[in-house]
Amino acid sequence: MPLEFNVEEHALKNGLQIRMLPDRSLPVATLYSFFRVGSRNERPGITGISHLFEHMMFNGSKKYGPKEFDRRLEAAGGSSNAYTSNDVTAYYEDFASDALPLVLDLEADRMASLTIDDASLVREREVVKEERRFRTDNDIDGMMDEAMGALSFLAHPYRWPVIGWMSDIEAISRPDCESYFRTYYAPNNCTLVLVGDFEPRAALREIKRLYGPIPSGAPLPKVANGEPPQKGERRALIRYPSQAPAVLVGFRAPHGSDPDSLVLDLIETALSSGEGARLRRALVYQQELCVDAHVYFGWRMDPGLFEISLKLNPGVDAARAESSLWAELDRLCRETIPEKELDRAKNLVRATLLRSLQTSNGRAHTIGQMEVMLGSWRTMLDLPDRYAAVTAADVQRVARATFPAHRRNIVTLVPGELPA
Amino acid sequence: MTDVALPPLLIEKLPSGLTVVGIQKRGLPLFHARLSVPAGACEDPQRKAGLAQFTVDLLRRGTRRRPAPDVDDLIESMGAQLAADVSMEEAALALTVPAELAESALDALLEVALEPAFDESEVASARRRTVAALQSDLDDPATVATRALVTLGYGPGHPYAHPAHGFKRDVETFQREDALGFHATRYQQQGALLALAGQGEPADLVALGKRKLAQWQSSWPGHSQRAPLQFRALPPGEGLRAVVIHKPDATQAQVRIVSPGLPRTTPRFAEAVVTNTALGGGFTSLLVDAIRVDRGLSYSVSTRLHLNRRAGLSVFSSFTKNETLRELVDVALEKMRGYAAQGPSKDALDKTRRYLAGLFPLGLESHEAIAEQIADALLDGIGLEHLLKYRSRVLAVTPEQARTVAPDISPAGEAAQLIVVGEADAARKALAGLCPVEVRHLEEFA
Repeated sequence: MPLEFNVEEHALKNGLQIRMLPDRSLPVATLYSFFRVGSRNERPGITGISHLFEHMMFNGSKKYGPKEFDRRLEAAGGSSNAYTSNDVTAYYEDFASDALPLVLDLEADRMASLTIDDASLVREREVVKEERRFRTDNDIDGMMDEAMGALSFLAHPYRWPVIGWMSDIEAISRPDCESYFRTYYAPNNCTLVLVGDFEPRAALREIKRLYGPIPSGAPLPKVANGEPPQKGERRALIRYPSQAPAVLVGFRAPHGSDPDSLVLDLIETALSSGEGARLRRALVYQQELCVDAHVYFGWRMDPGLFEISLKLNPGVDAARAESSLWAELDRLCRETIPEKELDRAKNLVRATLLRSLQTSNGRAHTIGQMEVMLGSWRTMLDLPDRYAAVTAADVQRVARATFPAHRRNIVTLVPGELPA
Repeated sequence: MTDVALPPLLIEKLPSGLTVVGIQKRGLPLFHARLSVPAGACEDPQRKAGLAQFTVDLLRRGTRRRPAPDVDDLIESMGAQLAADVSMEEAALALTVPAELAESALDALLEVALEPAFDESEVASARRRTVAALQSDLDDPATVATRALVTLGYGPGHPYAHPAHGFKRDVETFQREDALGFHATRYQQQGALLALAGQGEPADLVALGKRKLAQWQSSWPGHSQRAPLQFRALPPGEGLRAVVIHKPDATQAQVRIVSPGLPRTTPRFAEAVVTNTALGGGFTSLLVDAIRVDRGLSYSVSTRLHLNRRAGLSVFSSFTKNETLRELVDVALEKMRGYAAQGPSKDALDKTRRYLAGLFPLGLESHEAIAEQIADALLDGIGLEHLLKYRSRVLAVTPEQARTVAPDISPAGEAAQLIVVGEADAARKALAGLCPVEVRHLEEFA
């Protein structure tokens, strides 16, 4: 059964897209600003600028000076945050509904007139370096993920980490930031999504007043996308003083708007969602090789990765865990998935989608993500039906296309110290 | 801002001591069930730290009606994932399903909670898994810091002085009889609560809960006698002392500063929350401003109140590269000590009151969130007034109240402990001259 949401769609002359979904049940609302820019829009030398810039967006603009953005927002009963991915940068505010005029003014002001100065760049650079030390340099998942990107992509910008290489973070200059802002933070590269307790006509009037005068930007530079086909298994090894080994496997996968991405969502669920998922049942419970077996497949604008992370029990041989994993993937390719198991995966995916729509923030994020990644929020409405239409034969076909041995990328973490 | 009305709900306390709550949640066609029992980590017996968590983990590893894989299939074929959480006070099992599966979901939840098999081989397998997971947790410096602050913050012998997952040395001793005994004596009706949130009328939801519970009425213990827990007062401090937990190769130090705080039942709850948020709760708090925004020393800075029912801790958390550890600690201590003496500025207080009041309804949006909020308010004994008057109470906190409570919620009190998880030599050098420093081995916190 399709979902029902009465989302209003608008666009300004400068290219800004607006999506609004009123819901008066609680006196709160969420505003998302999705910019179609992420690490895929970077180049070597300034990797991490999308993420660093996300931090810079909180450092003042013409009307609201340094420290004012969050101070004014919190004083009005709101909070803000943001994230940067390979493909997008998203900013959001959750707030008491009477703060809407302020929230729109804050967002429009920084889109129109962000302040980029050397002092705030120097400070924010240090914060980002700490974030990198936290998420990557001192974190096993982070360091393996970084190695996976560099291993599995040779030419595409997905090769470098979203947070950027440390030397690039240190080298990004104020002119780099200014040029980046002019190019990617124009209204024609943004989708606003407003969900919650508001009056749509008044909100639209205010958006037009505040965002309407902001000039549109030039067309975006083309993203380099010359990734050659993979012709053999690739491996990388990390030695680190950890308690246990770990294995991260990546397979090149289609982009998010490819219909096969929905099939891979179901394969992801069948392999690792819930205690009865194949990899958890086999590797964690039956063979007791892993503390955790987790699959991650996220939709990306360009062909991305289907990743499988195995956190091994201390002392387990990584090769043994790998061969158990290959056996499970091989089974998916050789044997048709039983209908009951496919139904389980479909029900889990549908329920996860429904649960994500319970909050204003969840609805706003889903609407924006569908707009940016798949071209229209309406995609959300028939997603349950599209998942329901996937057959066992589809699962087998996509598994066979995705998991051949020559397309494996494998990062292995070996416990131990590096020689001095 | 006015107080927020709760959705239509009905609370019924049964003669057995079990409370059933029906919450009408319109909108998406979902049904949520949450069963809380008084079987939290504080109930772990001596030298059996982690038994509450171990027991709840075992519940779904087979019931008297079906083996573990069939339990997984039963739950997950409905699109549900069973959440099994242990706080200091309660164990809670919860799941959310499409509305049409409400009856089946509730049947499954009660079967898992009340009819576990505790099969010998499953117990042995769970023991090996838990030991391996505790060992692996040592790879995450933030997890080690969190485990250490609970252990050191409450001190030896206190019922709260261990992480919910316990210690490897204790888990290694767990036998089937331990889990069986814990379940038999702690999974009782007295003090338990079943919260159901869905599209139906509250009375219909309560009726559904009672009808399903009737199947277990004879086999589910109403009340078990056991010795009351001893909650002695946390010892007064003799000045700052530091514990460094050595993590080889770490280029960044995880930092916690912890002091005795207030319990969840404090009548000063509203001013404690407001005053803590102004110190280190929001993005514009005093400490975020001083440490992240002004000095770029860290990506993350926060203070948090660990409000357990009978005792609490006040905790400062951050991290920084080894080279700036001392600077971060010095700034944090100076700011927190000054704040304990003076409380928040008028502007900071005004901003924080509105910040908390404005965001409060977000915690009532989802089925899971509202069921948990209502269950916790009832189980903590603070009642629905806590939710119904939250906004007005927060908005009414005065500068005098904030000033008075500030020293009681400061992580940098007289009994403060500084916990650093990082490279020991670098940390010891950085902290030289600040306070006594003791270096502990990572393995102690597994």
